[in-house]
Amino acid sequence: MERWALVSGLRGDLDLYEQIQSDLQKRRGTAHLFVLGDMIGPHPKCDALLKRLRQPKRGDLYPHCIYGWLEEQLLSLHGYRGEAKAEECQLQSGDSGVQQLRQAVDTEHLNWLASLQFGLIELDCGLIHGSSADVADELQETTSPLILLDRLTRLDVNRLFTARSGRQFRLQLTGGQIRSKVKDHANEQLHEQPVPKRSVIGVGSGANYTLYDPASDHIEFLSVASRSGSSNKGKGFLR
Amino acid sequence: MTMSHAVISCLHANLAACEAVLADIDQQGIDTITCLGDLVGYGPQPNEVIELIRERSIPTCQGCWDEDIIDGLNACECSYPSQLAERRGHRAHHWAAERITENNKAFLASLPMTLRRDRLLFVHGSPNSQHEYLLPDMNAFAALERVETAGAETLFCGHTHQPYVRELSEGSIRVSVQKNGNHSDSEQEMTLPMRRIVNAGSVGEPRHGSTKATYVVHDDDSGAVSVREVEYDVSKTCRAIIEAGLPEVFAWRLSHGFEYAERAEDASHVCER
Repeated sequence: MERWALVSGLRGDLDLYEQIQSDLQKRRGTAHLFVLGDMIGPHPKCDALLKRLRQPKRGDLYPHCIYGWLEEQLLSLHGYRGEAKAEECQLQSGDSGVQQLRQAVDTEHLNWLASLQFGLIELDCGLIHGSSADVADELQETTSPLILLDRLTRLDVNRLFTARSGRQFRLQLTGGQIRSKVKDHANEQLHEQPVPKRSVIGVGSGANYTLYDPASDHIEFLSVASRSGSSNKGKGFLR
Repeated sequence: MTMSHAVISCLHANLAACEAVLADIDQQGIDTITCLGDLVGYGPQPNEVIELIRERSIPTCQGCWDEDIIDGLNACECSYPSQLAERRGHRAHHWAAERITENNKAFLASLPMTLRRDRLLFVHGSPNSQHEYLLPDMNAFAALERVETAGAETLFCGHTHQPYVRELSEGSIRVSVQKNGNHSDSEQEMTLPMRRIVNAGSVGEPRHGSTKATYVVHDDDSGAVSVREVEYDVSKTCRAIIEAGLPEVFAWRLSHGFEYAERAEDASHVCER
């Protein structure tokens, strides 16, 4: 079986995307590229990256994209979601942040962005920007295991790949149980439920990406050297 | 003297059932009552039930039917078990929306999503949404997550119309963490706290296999919870449903005390508006 590359947080940086594509060419056996949102950001080349994602160059590994928190905010701004307000973006970055985001993306891309899915299910894996609860959900290795298990349960997947926190980690649920006693008007039932062996994987962001081999369940955390330092551009913006 | 506290839910415009339950609570000398919403919907006396709750100044949180009367039917409707059930629900919604007075609508709009007393949390469906069902057989870890994330020890809910007390205890989760740059995995174990979910059932539309109205009594000192069943004049409400022109199946359901051979495929779905 061929490996998956999981990328997120390109934030309009075409150079960075090209570096990742080039890195992937050198690594044999990578067949699928998943871009887990935050393709856009306050970057002057945002349109160029979006065009490339929509119409890949010959030789590019085809990118399967889903939307992230930044796309959600932009779509809200343009009235594709709710009331034409990007409230979370406004709260985090103020008027100037909202303005930057609006100006970063040409409106010709809005319909395409709006057509992207919230997440993908591939084999027994969920691929999502935030979590099954919310695109803004930041799952980390320090997040309560109870919350992580809940997010896995909501999607009923064995592995949940998440990008929103920007961190690279793999947290495996290895054991444990809970006792449930339910008493209703007629009966009392006792049940012990074991913790399922499932994982949450943080794929990283920007120059940090992840390779996954579904056949062996092997994870590799990778990083491309940033030519222009562009992977750090906008760091702290809108997060 | 022991302090007890009654929790009622899902009154559903059934005045006879509400009066009987409040009389039963009064008879036990309980003067603290919390209501978990759904004052309206299905039943024939929405204004009368709202006014009864207002007269008694019973702290109430907003149910899904109360919310829909105010915000309109903008839930995704996926919790309906069939299109037929959805059409019936819409018919009942429009019937109630036309009859509830503006003053009573303003009251429904003013209801909070949650009420809290120390470590007791009161919601209609779940802390996430008035539309989420916390069924008794829901995944135990997911159920615990709802209580724990809300910062409660005991979560009181309704919405399912089936009363139960669920105790989640002796839980633990072991994890192994691999981070970028670290070659060895770190192992951790989290001990989970003991938490409870108490479903108050339904005063106005029981679906637990009996026609009796249900509610729960919480002993504030010992934490003990008892489910109470109260008889009322079911036929009176059934007649009023039919006379009002509401779907007859609502009267059938009330006279049998269970769901009309239908169940939502994904009752745990959280409606996203």
